[in-house]
Amino acid sequence: MSSVLIEELGPRGKARVRVATIISILVGIVLLALVVWKLGTAGQLTWAKWEPFTVWANLEFLLGGLVNTIKAALAAMVFSIIIGFFFALGRLSRNAVVRGLCVAYVEFFRSIPLLLAIFMGFFGLLAAGLDVGAFTSLVVALVAYNSAVLSEIFRAGIKSLDKGQTEAAQAIGMRYWPMMRIVILPQAVRRMVPAIVAQLATLSKDVSLGFVIGYEEVVRRGQGFPGFSDAGNFQAYVVVGVVYFILVWMLARLARYLELRQRTSSIGTGAAAIDGAGLEDIAALSEEADAAEVEAAAARGEDPDRVVDSQTRARGAAEEQGTKLNEARKGDRDRRRGRD
Amino acid sequence: MLEFYTEYWPDYWDGTLVTLRLVVISFTLACIIGVIIAGFRVSPVPPLRSFASGYVALFRNMPLLVVFFLAFFGVGDLGFVFGPFPTAAVALGMYTGAYMAEVIRSGINSVSSGQAEAGRAIGLGFIPLLREIVIPQAVRTVIAPIGNLFIANFKNTAVALTISVFELTYISRKLINETARTWLSLLGAAIIYTVILLFAGWVFRTLEDRYAIKR
Repeated sequence: MSSVLIEELGPRGKARVRVATIISILVGIVLLALVVWKLGTAGQLTWAKWEPFTVWANLEFLLGGLVNTIKAALAAMVFSIIIGFFFALGRLSRNAVVRGLCVAYVEFFRSIPLLLAIFMGFFGLLAAGLDVGAFTSLVVALVAYNSAVLSEIFRAGIKSLDKGQTEAAQAIGMRYWPMMRIVILPQAVRRMVPAIVAQLATLSKDVSLGFVIGYEEVVRRGQGFPGFSDAGNFQAYVVVGVVYFILVWMLARLARYLELRQRTSSIGTGAAAIDGAGLEDIAALSEEADAAEVEAAAARGEDPDRVVDSQTRARGAAEEQGTKLNEARKGDRDRRRGRD
Repeated sequence: MLEFYTEYWPDYWDGTLVTLRLVVISFTLACIIGVIIAGFRVSPVPPLRSFASGYVALFRNMPLLVVFFLAFFGVGDLGFVFGPFPTAAVALGMYTGAYMAEVIRSGINSVSSGQAEAGRAIGLGFIPLLREIVIPQAVRTVIAPIGNLFIANFKNTAVALTISVFELTYISRKLINETARTWLSLLGAAIIYTVILLFAGWVFRTLEDRYAIKR
């Protein structure tokens, strides 16, 4: 137990924890029994309601939805990375017009709901005479939305590099693009890989919203699969939930694994370094990686406190980077004001 | 263009009010759930800890749309039928609550354990320790992530239109059908969201500047 709130327990504390454990297990069993009983009396546990999910044709239909989800997520990811990258560079540009346009784009798409972006991609393009279908509409909306989010991740990744890197590159006479290609991006991208994978997990969750424009992802298929009338809402959505859960969970695990590997290879603090981007899933990722490191240290028989100390130091460094980013933002603002 | 907005302003206004109500209720609920789950997560009682991490994992890895459909249609099939608005508020509160629990937990863990040890050494009990030492320091580190969560929660209210809550995005969708002026309808909602969320972002940044720990 390593928590700031609880110290090593004495004999009385341990006894109390034992009592609390027994009570909470009992309460848990009672609650679970209540749920099962309620499901039973509502007739949701009968085999007939679950049988449709054992028929291969039905499952194949649902898994086809999963394939569609993954297709849309991957397509959206590839394009958002490319476009987000250019917006990040644009926001760091010295040209005020370019910077202003990029800021406007990023702030706009970061402050509207994804659903609104999806409606723009579907009805908006339709009104503009472009009948591109649900898949393209969804991907366009996801790209518009996520490229704004990713551009902030990229910007934070670039900003988190030591200023000396840019200065050294300039000192040996590198121009902008060679400097970016050879010095800045290889380092920034390596730092950002876990955050990008975490964003991919979020994105694959968001593909479910393609439902509203009729894209055949898992939720839509879960409502329209051949055995739906034999099963019911409850069963269908539980199965859809399980399918999504497994997909997103695997991606989240991958992100966490990458984050941990990144830390041991000591090229910065991975997701922690770009906390400034302010994305809840990514912040949670670095938290989880912290916890996993402590557990691993305890398993190796090392002193977990030392790991926590080094994490606190790393976080301090990361926050410093975040502060630098904020200062840079303020600097941007001041410079703009100065020019007006 | 302006006539469009003067004519349909009442619809937008109604939608905005529904969205704001949904945000206030769901975010309050998320804070309550977040505190409880975070408390479970740092407690020394193993079953509570596993319950909390199960809760967080469940809601973090499922799309909000599925949560809404399970809460509305799924729970409806069990014989508990609630209106769309209460369902949306509770489902969204539970979803954001999982993220909130993580934020609060990380805030608590960000306080160095030496601080708490020092508190215990001078004889503070659990509650005074929390009140005087841990919470004042933890709050400062969680302002920014809570601000981000608030904004995410605000944007997520749009998903409630799938269970026919008449919030802002629903209104713009409805205006598309009624007026066939697609871009105007969508941009109206987008502008309202942008104005409110940029303002919210500014408020949280100001709070952070004022209270965050300067290192």
